[in-house]
Amino acid sequence: MNKRMLVALGALAGVFVALYLTLYKLGYIGTLACAVGSCETVQTSKWATFLGVPVGSWGVGYYLGVLAIALVGLTPRFADAPSVSRLLAGVTTFGVLFSLWLTYLELFVIHAICMWCVGSAIIATTLCILSWLDLRDVNAFLEDTAEGAADHLRGEGYGAGIRNTAEVTVQATRENQ
Amino acid sequence: MAKQRVDGGRGRRPGVVSSAKRGGPGRGFWLALGLVAVLGLGALGYVASRPKVTARTIDPTLPPMKAEGYLIGSPSAPLEVIEFGDFECPGCGQFATVTEPDIRANLVNTGKIRFRFMDFPLPMHKNTWDASLAAACANDQGKFWQMHDALFQNQDRWNGEATGKPRPVMHDLAQGLGLDMAKYDACMDSEQHRAQIQANLEEGERRQVNSTPTFVIGTRMVPGALYYDQFKQLVDEELAKLPARPDSAKAAAIAPAAAAPATPKKADSSATPAAK
Repeated sequence: MNKRMLVALGALAGVFVALYLTLYKLGYIGTLACAVGSCETVQTSKWATFLGVPVGSWGVGYYLGVLAIALVGLTPRFADAPSVSRLLAGVTTFGVLFSLWLTYLELFVIHAICMWCVGSAIIATTLCILSWLDLRDVNAFLEDTAEGAADHLRGEGYGAGIRNTAEVTVQATRENQ
Repeated sequence: MAKQRVDGGRGRRPGVVSSAKRGGPGRGFWLALGLVAVLGLGALGYVASRPKVTARTIDPTLPPMKAEGYLIGSPSAPLEVIEFGDFECPGCGQFATVTEPDIRANLVNTGKIRFRFMDFPLPMHKNTWDASLAAACANDQGKFWQMHDALFQNQDRWNGEATGKPRPVMHDLAQGLGLDMAKYDACMDSEQHRAQIQANLEEGERRQVNSTPTFVIGTRMVPGALYYDQFKQLVDEELAKLPARPDSAKAAAIAPAAAAPATPKKADSSATPAAK
């Protein structure tokens, strides 16, 4: 399992958490299962809607977006693409900031905590950390391959770059298995 | 120099993205993704089909209610159900529009229960007090339940998310019900029923209501918007606890309610004399 796979799995889990809150807000679920905190207080507050759309629905869209980016990033064409990693890092950082704002509202404005919202904030934070780690790994990989290629062109340490890449390839293949 | 770079490759942290992924993610990943999807869908399906109902027994030493709210059904019905509701709460709106019509048709109009609505305006809903006032003013003209239904059916037009000025919307609703608008406007402007609504709210607080809707069904208090089957089951359980009544008393209880329309004439809306 590499970082993008973990991001995809986490995003899918986030989709269901957000979908649960959306279904409640739309009236398809009578009461929220809320062992800790005051979910209904939070969900019936005016802050449970953003730009006229339930916050849970924004969450569904956000997590689906992250899931889509991660899945695209797992396709052979984009497997090494740093643009995917940068996009993931940017989007998930925005997600964390939005979650922070919502948590602030819960704690200091609504004065109630919704455990599902906290769960979503934890997922969003995890996705952000994984995305930044993925970006770091991709950059490191590209750096290594670029240096190997430069060695080869200069005639220094002939094969070093190839060996370097081959080692990484074998390692990643093992991980995938 | 070249040696350093070779070592650098060996020292790489695991999880590096590489061209080894030319074949895409492995079967293990898709299985894990499928597992998360199945678990998520299963959990959602479960909670959507079986919302949790938690009933707790009411303290039997509590004195009778002081505030009276608004009643529908025969006063002599064997069982009373009380709803502590907030006109702006989505759960109350769901209950009022989805479940309550069946309750009125099958339980209230048949004389099995009488149903009492108590205002419980929550502080986070900025327009709910206006809605309670509008309903109380409609009650003055014998149309509380019609206004109750209209407010819930049009909740998205006047709630705090839709507008900061809900009274014009409520005015339209009142007009649609054929109220005497001069009386209605005077009632709204004077806010003469504020104390009565406050009394209903305090009654809920005294009974430790902390969310809406919350129902008092016989000896039990149940929070959350109930579906008809859940509601009826609780009613049946409470009816079964009641001592047997003579047939003549049952007939007397059922007859006037059965003859009554779905929405009653004038709800009794008195608050405590002290609250007034």
